Amino acid sequence: MAVYVSPQAFTLVFYDAAEIARVAGQVAAAIGLSGDLSIAIDETSPLARIRAKSDGDAWVVTADSGAFEDTKMPRQFSADATALALGRVLLRAKDRVDGGFGEAPADDDLTLAQSAAWDVYAIGRVHRLGYPINEQRWRYNYRNRHGFTDVTDETFDDVLNATGLTWGQLDAISQKGITNTTTV
Amino acid sequence: MRKFFPVEDLARDERFNLITMADRQSDPRTDANMVATAKGSKSNRLTPARKDAPNAARALMHGIFVGEIQALEGAGRTCWDFTTGVEAPFELKLDMARQAWDEARHVEISVKLSDWMGGEIGEFAENTLLFSAACSNDPVFRLAGVNRALEGLAIDVFTAMKEFGELSSDPFLAFCEDWMLADEVTHVKMGSDWLRKITENDPDRRKKALEFQQVVDKLFSFGAFRSESDESSIRLARRFRELAGFTNDEIEDINEMSMQGLNDIKAQTASARAAATEALAAAAAG
Repeated sequence: MAVYVSPQAFTLVFYDAAEIARVAGQVAAAIGLSGDLSIAIDETSPLARIRAKSDGDAWVVTADSGAFEDTKMPRQFSADATALALGRVLLRAKDRVDGGFGEAPADDDLTLAQSAAWDVYAIGRVHRLGYPINEQRWRYNYRNRHGFTDVTDETFDDVLNATGLTWGQLDAISQKGITNTTTV
Repeated sequence: MRKFFPVEDLARDERFNLITMADRQSDPRTDANMVATAKGSKSNRLTPARKDAPNAARALMHGIFVGEIQALEGAGRTCWDFTTGVEAPFELKLDMARQAWDEARHVEISVKLSDWMGGEIGEFAENTLLFSAACSNDPVFRLAGVNRALEGLAIDVFTAMKEFGELSSDPFLAFCEDWMLADEVTHVKMGSDWLRKITENDPDRRKKALEFQQVVDKLFSFGAFRSESDESSIRLARRFRELAGFTNDEIEDINEMSMQGLNDIKAQTASARAAATEALAAAAAG
């Protein structure tokens, strides 16, 4: 698999395109992607937004520089943050291609709860590939979108530990977990 | 024991990375708030409706946590750095001791809230501005810069976090923030009362202290973090500021300064975007 990173030279952040490509290549191999991967980084933005999609035989990632940043050391690269961010969005993109997620709304049309549930489903699989995660962080994100109840927590555990879900199954678990109505 | 402890010597373990406000301001990337607004968000207010809300709240909680540590260190220094009865009244030191006690409790609460939200100690860089404002060799300047400017900002931030907790039905966040907010109002009122009392017959000293407060307030208007506009994450908590001893004119001044900061950053963002577009076009043209 070839990994292309743009820009090749960074001027606003202290990132190395080759290092990003190395980390991305490892993550892509671990989750079983085939085809080329291109990563475009907007270094003018410190936000942590990141997206991935399949574009024919290739995978395309667009990210703000904050997605790959070490939050403790502003403007410095974090291989751990990069691996988690890429793993999460690439798995979501792969879900759409592999099947079972055909009826999932476009990313922009997902509710906050649906998006949170899909993130947890992805991050659980990233974790099982050997990448450390802070489970409480994802639980808190999920609770914010579903509710702060035991029922919500049970569905979080189900999603985090799941494999082979279809969109319908994932959405059903998420719906079951919604115990407040203020944020969805 | 040493007096007038410099900010560079603050004791932290290896989990922390201290940065200055100058470091923060030297980040050349476009301000986060403005980018979010430009790409279609209607509001940057910290509410659960924001897509990045849980992450933003977690980052803000870490900022509160390190702010509480520095507020504790600052109040403690004010108890020790000045000669009792000569440079600072005993009763002022008593208030600072009470504040140090409050801040120590807030540090513990913030650590627990941070755990609850999935944060980690030292996960984000620690801006040392608050303690810097507590390094003045005039206790009145410390009251103006820390108790009135920075603890005033804390009133705005805690109000926002309390509302965030209520909206997201978080069973702990709103409760804890409400209790800490009550203390912050008291701290600001201590600053307001002592500033007026000590400078009652020294208008020049009062004027300079208030100018110092404005400088600190202006530093936090950078980046449009707080203003009346929905484009800022945090709203000015007018009612609580009134309770803390701010006059209406003072609140208006802070509001105007914040709006100026917002407009400045919008202009910078537009300029940066234009430059980036130009550079992209030039690169495309070969």
